[in-house]
Amino acid sequence: MWSFGKGSLSARFGRPFVKLVVVATVVFLSLPVVLTFISSFAAEWVGPLPSGFLTFGNWNDVISGTDVGADVSVGSSLLYSAGLAVGGVVINICVGVPIAYAVARYDFLGRSWVNVFAILPLAPGIILGIAFLRAYPDLSTSGIALVIGYSLLKSPYMVMAVQSSFQSMELQRIEESARSLGASWPRTFLTVIIPNAKEGIIAGSIICWTLAAAEFNFSYIVYSRGTPPLSIFLYNNITNASFLNAAAAVSVFFLLIALVTIALQIVGNQAAVRRL
Amino acid sequence: MAADIDSAPAGLLSRLTEVFSEILRPQSEHQRERRRIVGLCLPFLILLLFSGIIPLLEMFRISFSEARLVTEGFTFQYYEQLIVDPYYRTIAINTLWFALATTVVSIAIAVPVVHALEKYDLPFESVILTILSFPNSLPGIVAAFMIIVLFGNTGLITNVIAAFSGRSPIDLAIATSVSGLFFAYLYSMIPRALLLLRGTYAEINTDAEEAARSLGATPFETFRYVTLPQIKPGLIGAFVLVFRTALAIFGTILILKSLLVWTLQIDREIAQGFNIAQASAMATVWFGFVFVFTLLALRYTSAEVSI
Repeated sequence: MWSFGKGSLSARFGRPFVKLVVVATVVFLSLPVVLTFISSFAAEWVGPLPSGFLTFGNWNDVISGTDVGADVSVGSSLLYSAGLAVGGVVINICVGVPIAYAVARYDFLGRSWVNVFAILPLAPGIILGIAFLRAYPDLSTSGIALVIGYSLLKSPYMVMAVQSSFQSMELQRIEESARSLGASWPRTFLTVIIPNAKEGIIAGSIICWTLAAAEFNFSYIVYSRGTPPLSIFLYNNITNASFLNAAAAVSVFFLLIALVTIALQIVGNQAAVRRL
Repeated sequence: MAADIDSAPAGLLSRLTEVFSEILRPQSEHQRERRRIVGLCLPFLILLLFSGIIPLLEMFRISFSEARLVTEGFTFQYYEQLIVDPYYRTIAINTLWFALATTVVSIAIAVPVVHALEKYDLPFESVILTILSFPNSLPGIVAAFMIIVLFGNTGLITNVIAAFSGRSPIDLAIATSVSGLFFAYLYSMIPRALLLLRGTYAEINTDAEEAARSLGATPFETFRYVTLPQIKPGLIGAFVLVFRTALAIFGTILILKSLLVWTLQIDREIAQGFNIAQASAMATVWFGFVFVFTLLALRYTSAEVSI
């Protein structure tokens, strides 16, 4: 028995222990999300559990905007952030797809370092924000600084998503077939390579869009006035509004992420869903 | 002598012009390929230059500035401040030990979870995967809010413990204490560690593990001597990236405010009197530290990094 390892501690208790860790982690990560969503429909939360269901007062405050604390409605922030994030995604596609192709298809001097710079964020939001304050002081009131910053901060996710598409393609063969059939190289790249990597590009765009719309650290430092981006709206709600109003505001954000996750599942990129 | 000194840069210059003219007017297929590679990398490099390198250099310059609002003169005073002032030293130590502790704990939790996901037949596995990756897209402020929901004054766990122990929930609420912050860090770091380790675990050679088991190794011995050596590069890589994440956390701490860390102090320098030079010096130190740390980790360990 002992020699076969059946009686050892890890054989008897290993699996239950590991499962316990899984359950605890899942509960720790999901319970507050569920509680927040449920409590956003409650009238009050004083005891252990929220009570006074079912009311839409909190949601109403968030959607139409109160004049206390978070003084704008979620709609304008949502639209503003959505627009900024689209701008960031457009830049990400223009810079991310070519460099992902260069690294996946060609072998050149410094390739691995180019790859490291393409997939590791150069600086996090707060550091880049401080850098932007002085480098582009005039841009900070417009959304342009936010768009440029989002695109640099989130470009690694685009590069990764597109690279995973390229890895499953026989790039050299595809490129050479197209070339031998008479297509020029730019035409090969634009009409053969890119359409084949469509899945990765769409998945990458969705991920970059969500992360840009949710970016807080950079927005907090750079944003000065005007319509607050979505994450600043959330911050205002969490710090200034009542607990249940904040719960409703955070729930709006949860719904957004849920929609995006479903969209990714429809696109069918499992790897991207996990990465999100 | 003078000719010698002149010829070196001139030689370099002519070589550079040669490379440029090759790229602009390629003669051979090899040169054309090189032009394509440069063309493909160029958009990214332009973005990197304008939104990364130029702002960071500007930040670097202002951190030596004597004047408050314009970049003027040259002084080390802000860096001296960081070194001699015990206030900043405490912050640096706080930041490092807290980031290190949270990194170690989140990886220690992520390894068994990934192990179970890869090796066991778990019910509702795809649901579990979705739940485990959901927090990856939440900003830090939301992670802080999640901790308030669990451990705040009205938090569920606080109230459950209060009901059992008969103590007041106010005394038991840990959301805005250092241990609450610890959980808040874990809330954003565990999913990230999981994501990084899943890629590593997928590449394990399961034949060796089965052989070890059938030769009489216990499950733990199998993990220790067969699985662990295989996931080591991935573990180190995950450690590097999760540690970077921990150092960069700002939104979470801005809400919970329970420990003065480097990023929070950077914000305070700006918020209290717009001391941009001091903030820039701190940000430069942060950037330099993380940059060198990452480079060394990639160079001298077997770390494999991906996002």
